[in-house]
Order: sequence, then structure tokens, then C-alpha cells
Amino acid sequence: ESHIQYERVGADVTMKCGSMDWDAAVTWTANGTDINESRLNGSYLILKNVDLSQSGQYSCYEGSSWHLKYQTYLRVGTPPTEPVLMCRSNNYPKGFYCSWHLPTPTYIPNSFNISVIHGTKDMVCEKDAIPKNRCHIRYLQLFSTVKYKVTLTVTNALGKNFTTLTFDEFAIVKPDPPESVMAKPVPNNPRRLEVSWQNPSSWPDPESFPLKFFLRYRPLILDQWQHVELSDGTSHTITDAYAGKEYIIQVAAKDNDIGTWSDWSVAVHATPWTEEPKHLTTEAQITETTSASTSSFMAPPTTKICDKGAVVGS
Amino acid sequence: MAAADSPSAALRRRDLCSRGIRLAGKMRADVIDLLDAYVEQQGLDASASVAAVEGVPLAAVERWDEQTGTQRLLENLAAYRAFRALLAQMLEEQREQLGEADAGLGRALAAVLLQVSAFAYHLEELLRLESRGIPGEEEEEDGPPPPPRLSLFEQKLRGLGVLRELAQWALRSVRDLRQLAKPSPATGVAPGLVESP
Amino acid sequence: GSLGDPQNLKCVTHNLHKMLCTWDGSSRGRHTQTDFCYTTNDLTPQVCFKTKERRVEIPVPEGSITVTIKSSGTAFATKEFVIHQKDISFVPATPHILSLMPDFPTSTLNLKWSDNGSVFRYGLDALWQIQILRKEATEVTYYSKLTHEDVILSWNWTSDMPLECTSHYVKIRCYINATQFVGPKDWSDWSPAEMIPGKDTEPGGSGVFPLDPVVAVGSDLTFCCVHEEDQHITNMTYGSKSYTMTQLSSRSHAIRVLNASVSNTSGTNVVCRLEDGLEGSVVFVGYAPDIPQNLSCETSNFLIIKCTWKPGRPSGLYGERRTKYSLFERTSGKNVSCEVSEVSRDHVCDFPVLRDQKTYDFILGVSNPIGQSQSSLMVDITRRVRPKTPEKLTVTGNNSTSIQLRWFINGSFAGTRLLCQIEISSSHSERKLHNVSIPGRKFSTYTAQMNALHPDTKYQFRVRCSAADHFWRWSDWSRGVEQTTSEAPP
Repeated sequence: ESHIQYERVGADVTMKCGSMDWDAAVTWTANGTDINESRLNGSYLILKNVDLSQSGQYSCYEGSSWHLKYQTYLRVGTPPTEPVLMCRSNNYPKGFYCSWHLPTPTYIPNSFNISVIHGTKDMVCEKDAIPKNRCHIRYLQLFSTVKYKVTLTVTNALGKNFTTLTFDEFAIVKPDPPESVMAKPVPNNPRRLEVSWQNPSSWPDPESFPLKFFLRYRPLILDQWQHVELSDGTSHTITDAYAGKEYIIQVAAKDNDIGTWSDWSVAVHATPWTEEPKHLTTEAQITETTSASTSSFMAPPTTKICDKGAVVGS
Repeated sequence: MAAADSPSAALRRRDLCSRGIRLAGKMRADVIDLLDAYVEQQGLDASASVAAVEGVPLAAVERWDEQTGTQRLLENLAAYRAFRALLAQMLEEQREQLGEADAGLGRALAAVLLQVSAFAYHLEELLRLESRGIPGEEEEEDGPPPPPRLSLFEQKLRGLGVLRELAQWALRSVRDLRQLAKPSPATGVAPGLVESP
Repeated sequence: GSLGDPQNLKCVTHNLHKMLCTWDGSSRGRHTQTDFCYTTNDLTPQVCFKTKERRVEIPVPEGSITVTIKSSGTAFATKEFVIHQKDISFVPATPHILSLMPDFPTSTLNLKWSDNGSVFRYGLDALWQIQILRKEATEVTYYSKLTHEDVILSWNWTSDMPLECTSHYVKIRCYINATQFVGPKDWSDWSPAEMIPGKDTEPGGSGVFPLDPVVAVGSDLTFCCVHEEDQHITNMTYGSKSYTMTQLSSRSHAIRVLNASVSNTSGTNVVCRLEDGLEGSVVFVGYAPDIPQNLSCETSNFLIIKCTWKPGRPSGLYGERRTKYSLFERTSGKNVSCEVSEVSRDHVCDFPVLRDQKTYDFILGVSNPIGQSQSSLMVDITRRVRPKTPEKLTVTGNNSTSIQLRWFINGSFAGTRLLCQIEISSSHSERKLHNVSIPGRKFSTYTAQMNALHPDTKYQFRVRCSAADHFWRWSDWSRGVEQTTSEAPP
């Protein structure tokens, strides 16, 4: 007789040797290793205050014939704590997804069950293949004031727990970050940078459900971000950039009317256009060039010779 | 099928739609402010779920994206006419219950009522543009039948339900008008009301 | 005696003049004929009669009574008993409830029953014990005096919780303190219980009770939530605070709120959260109206009398529950309701000047759902004249040393002498006041001549008026007018 036996961390476990009498002569092994007789009470195996390391295969053999009388796989673990559940719509108005995880491991298999109720209607949450702990729901109705109630129940052999989220349709709308963010200098404009991006591809109908954007940028040498909110369009020209300073730029998106801001997009870097160093037309200028051409070093087109700090490696 | 759109009609519709979107957006912002003030003033729990209230048009709609333009306008118009009557009743109850105490809420309620009336007129304009008949104003002149006499708490909850639905309707109207303003793929001109997806 | 003898003779009276006697005997002789004879000790002849029951009704003796019971069964068992008054128990008849009426708004039960006094020959003190049964019993004692007539007694009991919350059962019993009767006295049996069903017995009776009450600040309140049998109740809140619930029945839970404080303008919500919905009530907690202070009345035009007063502490009630004022004039019997806004600071009420009536005996009545009060004022209106502000002050005549002024006063002052005061100021002389007494007229203009002025001098004038006889208060100053005297003739 062999099966899996689940026990809580810290529990005291007693294993009988199948149908053998208490006073029968037996031998117990753990993962193939004999267990010291001091752990036995007659033919019963006593494990006190078990911990995770005591998970394993336990076998009991009849004393003389070494006949296997009992075998079990002991799995020491914990009942599930309250799971963490998050629901979000990044493709409004198509639907929303819910994802979950357990804040602490249980060390034994858990099963999750999710129920989504809208008013009195039970909605189907279609499990996503990847990632495992996620499913998505299609909006059957739009513009509803009836709240959605999502209940996630987690069960394992040692116990059960659940958590519930109640939310309005519009409260969980959070687009994915804008994509293809690009920034480039504007020729002959030492204080401008042209930034462009695209709606997140997951956003299905930007025309009926337009997004607005939030741009933040700062020179690398400063910590303070500058912000600008843009109610439409997917580009913006920064006009107050510090000349010659490298900038880090990010964009976030939000539905024009509801929900919350997306995470920040991937950061892009750019440095505003800078003046080309001018060739000297006077006598002195020619002499200097002649002496310069003989040196081995050539400055990158956008860097001023006199600006010591501006020499940048590739 | 609506007559093929003359450019001027299309431009006029587009203009009406964009003005309507701004009006609905402003109305929604004011309704949300009013809702916050109402919840606080009435001592209600903002997260309380309120059962559907009889006579209050529900903004919730299934297969919204499949509606025709005419459906959108007619449903919007019916809703805002109902809200006009409901808000007028709320204003009356407000005066009855509070007299001149907290006149601020009364003024905010009256302001939203004005916007709802203006938006209803705007929708009628859009329907007229499409030579669509305007649903009988007369039958709805006295609005929905007076609801049964509610207890004060039920009145408070109904008010909450009315303002919540109105906020959602304003949002839906913005989306509906954007649909109407969308240039149809073929002609690049905003579609007649019937053809819009 | 032998087994078959009559024994344990007991007599009980319900009305002090008849008593019911019962006895035991052998079970075999239950329906056999019995001769029952009795004689009192004042030598009246013995009275006998036959009975098959072991109970007879005979008069209550003044002193004692000798009873002989002969049962004519197989063996002639005869037994004699001597009954003294002290052996007779006096147990009043079980009272009968005539009506039990609920008044839900005030959570009051009104109980009516007959005291059955006519069965007694003389007045007696009666004690009534009334039991009100809900989740727990409440017992109350009520005293009355029997007067040899059947009097319908009426008694009100105000429940500490709304009657809708759960069913109320009432029953009553009586004890009569017949001091002259020496026998043991006891309580009657309880009457059958009468019931006022609670909403928790009605299908669809859900809700929070009391519904939308108005109560005084400091009250202790009980609210209950009646719900369906299978509905789980999550909590009950009063305002923003959750309260511990007491279960009254399977469909009714209650909370107790002590020392309620004044509610805000829209009332305090009492919310019962159920698994699938909300029930609620709105309670308005306020103050009864204070006695109006500084009640004062005057007229500015002999058409309308304006009364003003200080309302005292705000009631905290608004809209249809606001404090309302009415002005009643006793002499004429005329009553006027006053339009007073609960948020404005000044409280004013207009009452028409009545023809040929000088003296007004006003009662300012004040009431709101919590209470009422009043103030009174007797006033001779001719002694309370404060004319309206003089209007259209103009200069009508002018020479080097005098100027004539004219002004208009809105009001009917015929028969009233006016005292008007003209303020004269100029750049190089002190402000002077010049009084002039003028016979009043109806909606009229008035003139006054300012003499002894300096030539070629700019003067500013303004005027105010009051009643010449019985001065009360000046009107406000009129708007000013400016005029320069002409130059002196050469």
C-alpha cells in the first residue's frame, strides 16, 4: 500500500506498518535509509515536529522476510495563505484579465478556482496557457455601474483560503505602456528634442477609445523629472532641453476618460543637436588647422573642441 | 439608407459630434463632482452598490460596438430626457427635504440639469441633421410616470443611482459620438447614421 | 370518614358576594346525586339543593357558614363543614382585553380593558399587572379604583423599540385589595394574550425601523432591520459607526444608539447591509424650538406690522421638518404663518394692520416635529411706528439764506403726527439737527423750510422721521442732497 501523505510543518506524524501488529518486528527506511529504532514505538514510526526536509519516501518491511508491508510518500507543507489577486483591463473595451500568486510557498500542490460575478451573472474566466496563474474575461456589457466581484479560492491538501476583489468596469482600465518610443535631436535647434511613440498594440480601438499620454524627461545630470501631459497625438517636441546634455525620456498612457496610467515606457536617450565646430578663415586659423591635422585625434562631429567635458567615448 | 452625405452635412455632423463630445465630457466631470458632494452630503457610503432603480435608464449595453448610429442617438436621447425628469425631481426633493440648507448642492444639481437639457437638445440637432424624426417630445413631456413614494433612504439611494448612471451615460455618449464622428473607411467622410458599424 | 365521604371542601369568590365551592369524593360517586345544604350562623333556615356536580355557587357569608354534603350513593356519606370567611379565597375574575391598538409612529401600544367593577358592591383598590412579551418580557403594574360600575380602563405603553421590529404580546391579570375581606386574596389568571404582529411576521416586510423618524438630541434609540429569513445580515451602521446587533427574531436584528447627537442637514443614515442589498432609514436628530427672545413688533407704514425675534438655538432640522412660526393675534383671532428661512439670521413675520385696531395681542407660535414653544407680546401699534426711509429728498426753493426741502414717505400716516429731523452740514459749520413736526398723511410728500443759512454756501441735507407722539425709533436717514444758497443781494 503506497500513497502520498500530506502533513503540516511542525506536526507530529505516526505511521503504521500497514496491517502489521503493534508488536510486530519491522524495519522502517526513509528514502532507502534505515531509520533508527529509537524513532519507533513498537512497529509504529513516530516523527515529531516534522519539517520540510523530512519530506520523502517512507517504507516498512516485515522483520524477517523483508517483505514490503507499507510505503508512503510524505510531503510536508503549509496550508495556503490568502492569495494576491489583481485584475486589469489593458485592452478595453474588449475585456480584462485577472492574475494571482501566493505570497508564501506551500511546498505542496495547490489548486486555484476563480469565480467572476457581474451583478447576478456568472462570467467565464478563460485560463491563459501562459502564464499559468492568469485568465481573461470578455466584457459582455459596457458602461455598467454594476460592480464585478472576483473571488479566487486556493486549496491544497492542508487547507483552503480565498480573496475577493470588487471593482467597477472602468476602475481597472490600465493600458500597456506606449511602444516604439523614439527621441531625436532637431537640426539647428540646440534646445529641442523630437519624441514620438505609438499606441500600445494591445489597445484595440484608439479612435473610439483614445489614449492620452504623459511624457517625462530629464537630463542625466539631474534627478528632477520634467513632465508634460498630452491629450492627443503620439509625438511631442521638447523645447526647453539643456543644450548638449543627454536626456532620458519615458512615456505613459491612459484612456482619455477612465482608469489609471500605464507603467512608464522603456526609457530612451537622446542629446539635443549641437553646433559643429567652425573652420578658421583668418591667418591664425590656417596655422592652427595645419598643426591640428598632424595630431592623431579626430573629435565626433557633434562635439566642441573647447569643451573638455564634452568628449564622449563611443 | 440615408442619402449620401454632402460634404457640408458631414462637416456639420463632425462639428456637432466634437462639440457634443466636449459637452458630454464637461457634463461627466460635473456629474462626478456632484456625485462626490452628494455622497458626502447625504452621508452615504461611496462604495455602496445600489440595485437598479426603477425608471433610471441603464448605461450598460451589450454588443455596443454593433449599434448603428441612429440607435446610438435615439438611445442617448431617451436616456437624457429621462434624466432631465429625474434630476428635476431630485431638485424638488432636495428643496423639500433641505429647504435652503446646503444650497450649494441644489445649485450644482440645477447646473447639471441644465447641461443634461442642453445635451438632449444637441442630440436632437444631430437627429434633425440626419432628417431623423425626433421621438415624440409630447409623450415624454411629463416624463416617466411619477415613481412610488420612496422612503428618505430610498430617495437617497435613488439619487445615488441616478448620478452614477448619468456619469456612465456621459461616458458612453462620448464614445458614441466618437463612433459617429469616425470617418468611414471608404469615403473618409463621417458615415451616415445608418452605416456606422 | 370513609373513603367515599366528601372532603377538601374549598370555596373561592370572584366578586365577594358569591362563592364557588368544590369538594372531592370517591371517583365512583362522580355523577351520583348529592344533597348540598348550608346555613349561616344567624338562624336563617337551612338551604338545600341537589346537585350531580361537586361544585355549587352560594353566597359569601358575613361570618361563617355550615355546609352539609350528603351523597346518596351506595352508602349515605354525610359530611359537615364549617367555613369561615378567612377560609374563602378571593380571586378576581380573569380580565378580558377589549382592544390593543398600536401607534407605530410613536411606538406606543394602547390597551383597553373593562375593570368589571360592577360585580363589586363598593369601591375597591385594584392592581393590574400587565405583561408585554417580546424577546424578553416586560412587566408593568397599573393601579385603578373600582367604582361598582364597569369602567373601560385605558393604558398606553411606549415601547423602547419600534413596534414593527417584532411582535408584541400583551396579557393582564388583576389583584383586588379587598381589605374588608379576611380570606386569602390572590391574583386572577392571566388574560389570553393579545398580539401586535411585527413586520418580521409579514412576507416582504423588510426594512429598517423606525422609518425616517425625527427625535430629540440626547435620545436613546433602537433601530431594527427586518429582513428575509434566508438573508444574512452583514452589519448595521448608524452614521459611519457600526453597532453590535441584538437578534430579536429569525428575521429581525436591532441596534441601540445612546445619546444621539444632532444630525447633519440630510439626516443620519441607519443602514442595514445584507448579503445582497441595503435597507435603510434616515433619522433627523434635532432640538425642540427655543422660546423666541426679544419679540418686537413695529409698523413702518400702518399697513403691515413687522415682528422680529431671536430664535435661540438652531433646531438642526431643515426642509419640511424645519421650525415653523405663526403669528396669532388674540383680539382679532387672525392667524398668519410666517415665511422664515432656517438658514437666514433674521427672523421676521408680517401681520396686516387691522382696521380700527390699535392694540395687538400677539402670540408667536413656534413648532417643529420635536416640540413647540411660544412668545407673546401685547403692543399698541401707534407706539411702535418706525416710518420707512424718507425718499426723493429734493430742494424745491432756494435763496441766499433759506432752502426748502421736500421728501416722500411711503406709508399711511393719516392721523399720526410725524417728527422729522433734518441734518444740515456744510463745510464751514458744524453739523446741525433741525426738528420739525408735521401732520402725517397717506403716501404723501412733506416739506420743510431751512432758514438762517449763509449765502453762497454749499449745504448737505438729509432727513429722517419718526412718530411725534410716543417716539419709538427713527427711520433710517434718507439719501443726502446738496445745495448752495444763492449769493446775498448787493
